[in-house]
Amino acid sequence: MPAELRDAPLTLPRSRAIVLPAFLRRLPSRLLIVAAFLVMLAPVVTVMTTSVFRDEIISFPPSGLTLDWYVNAWERREFARGFVTSLQVAALATCIGVPLGTAAAYAIVRGGLPGASAMSTLLLAPLAVPAVVAGTALYMFYLRAEFWLDRDIAATLESLVAAHVLLTIPWTVRLVTASLQGLDRAAEEAAANLGARPLTVFRRVTLPAMRSGIIAACLFSFIQSFENLELSLLLVGPGRTTLPVAMLNYLEFRVDPTLAAVATVQILLVAVLMLVTDRFVSIARTV
Amino acid sequence: MAALVLPAGLLVALLLVAPMVLLFRISLNEYSPTEMMREATTAANYLRAVGDPYYRSILLTTLTVSMGSTLLTLGLGFPTAYWLARMESRWKSFATIVVMFPLLVGNVVRAAGWLALLGNGGAINSSLMGLGLIASPLPLIYNTGAVVLGIVAVVLPYMILTLSAVIESIPRQVEEAASNLGAPSWTVFRRVVLPLALPGVAAGSVLVFVLCMNTYASAVLLGGPRFKMMAPAIYDQFVRGNNWPFGAALAFILLTITLVLTILGSAALGRRYRRPKEELS
Repeated sequence: MPAELRDAPLTLPRSRAIVLPAFLRRLPSRLLIVAAFLVMLAPVVTVMTTSVFRDEIISFPPSGLTLDWYVNAWERREFARGFVTSLQVAALATCIGVPLGTAAAYAIVRGGLPGASAMSTLLLAPLAVPAVVAGTALYMFYLRAEFWLDRDIAATLESLVAAHVLLTIPWTVRLVTASLQGLDRAAEEAAANLGARPLTVFRRVTLPAMRSGIIAACLFSFIQSFENLELSLLLVGPGRTTLPVAMLNYLEFRVDPTLAAVATVQILLVAVLMLVTDRFVSIARTV
Repeated sequence: MAALVLPAGLLVALLLVAPMVLLFRISLNEYSPTEMMREATTAANYLRAVGDPYYRSILLTTLTVSMGSTLLTLGLGFPTAYWLARMESRWKSFATIVVMFPLLVGNVVRAAGWLALLGNGGAINSSLMGLGLIASPLPLIYNTGAVVLGIVAVVLPYMILTLSAVIESIPRQVEEAASNLGAPSWTVFRRVVLPLALPGVAAGSVLVFVLCMNTYASAVLLGGPRFKMMAPAIYDQFVRGNNWPFGAALAFILLTITLVLTILGSAALGRRYRRPKEELS
């Protein structure tokens, strides 16, 4: 064997064999991102589109377009009433749950209480319990309480709001705790050393730092309550149905564009609400 | 300070813990067709739920669908969350709103959207038939795949928002250092980004898994009459069957399995992300 061949390296030159161009290397993750947005938005866009289809049985392409379903949605009072009930419940649950949760989160992070971590586990527990389980348990509990106290509890607005407060507290504790943990204690100590009273320190240093957490908590609490179906299923009463439950009841016996019309109105209202909120506080920075 | 925690703590104790205790007590009672429920201390409801092949298969479906949906959500959610977290343009706010927006639409509406997309006369089948690619509609709806798709659409925003908050807290310099030292982008992801994002992966997956185990609307509307999951089965026992003790037992089984799996899952992930920290210090 000639020497030059014997000495030739047996391994292939260590070329960086396949160097894909940057756009190809990023392609898989780009595709996943596109798929994620498609999965999230496709059903919403479809619902909005079908709300103007003329045919009672939704099919593509439609034989024509109409706004009649919006009229029908307005005439079926259960949707308008459901919308008002959902708004009421979500607003009340947010107004009760966020202050309670914020106070608790502050005490857990800053209070140095014994058992703070156990307390935090308890307050976050509603997130770990499937809502359908919590809902059935509450339903049984309300019926039992009715029997003991001899007054209406189940299917009242108060009991529904109380159940929804259970949704708002863990989200508030979670989000406010996160914002407090990001605040350096040194800032509070500096203020105190400069002579600020504890209440002033709280009002001028701690509270502003919690602000974004509290706003995020309000937003998420409202969302959680407003769109909740599973917890409310057994807790709503005749004439006091939330919008998601009203929609499910309707959809279980007929699928026509009325529901799409209701959904579109809801979607537009929600979009306006979010864009207005975003003008005052940047949503991207709060979450 | 204790006075600040107490109201919230008492409320959760009253509205979550006490009802759970009551539910457990009820699950030990006996069902009676005449008086609905008879006081007893029996494990019969649990034995029936575990022994009956019908309920065993419902439980199995719920578990596999939930785990599959959680993994799929993680796979779709991670790249999206990373992209969102590292975004710097003024579109970031808009993109965040687009991710949050479906949350407010509610899962019933989104299930209706899937019906209109995947149904026999739906957008996809009509387009394919219009193009002459297929002769009869594809069975896209009323199967497990449709339910999983419906669930993923519902839970994906939670995963993305949870993950992107954690990814945003990872300093960009750490990634830059790794790639300056010659790590290919896949290695940077696997050895730097993923380990640092594991707390977020754990938090997001647990949150999403609980939501999946809870699936109601997607299962009822997209699964068809023969598809059953736990949440509708529990609801049926209370509303249609009026067998409260058995419904309570089913609810407790769902709760226990969810809790055990989430605790095991976060413990397993927790062990993995504690290790690199110790090496650093």
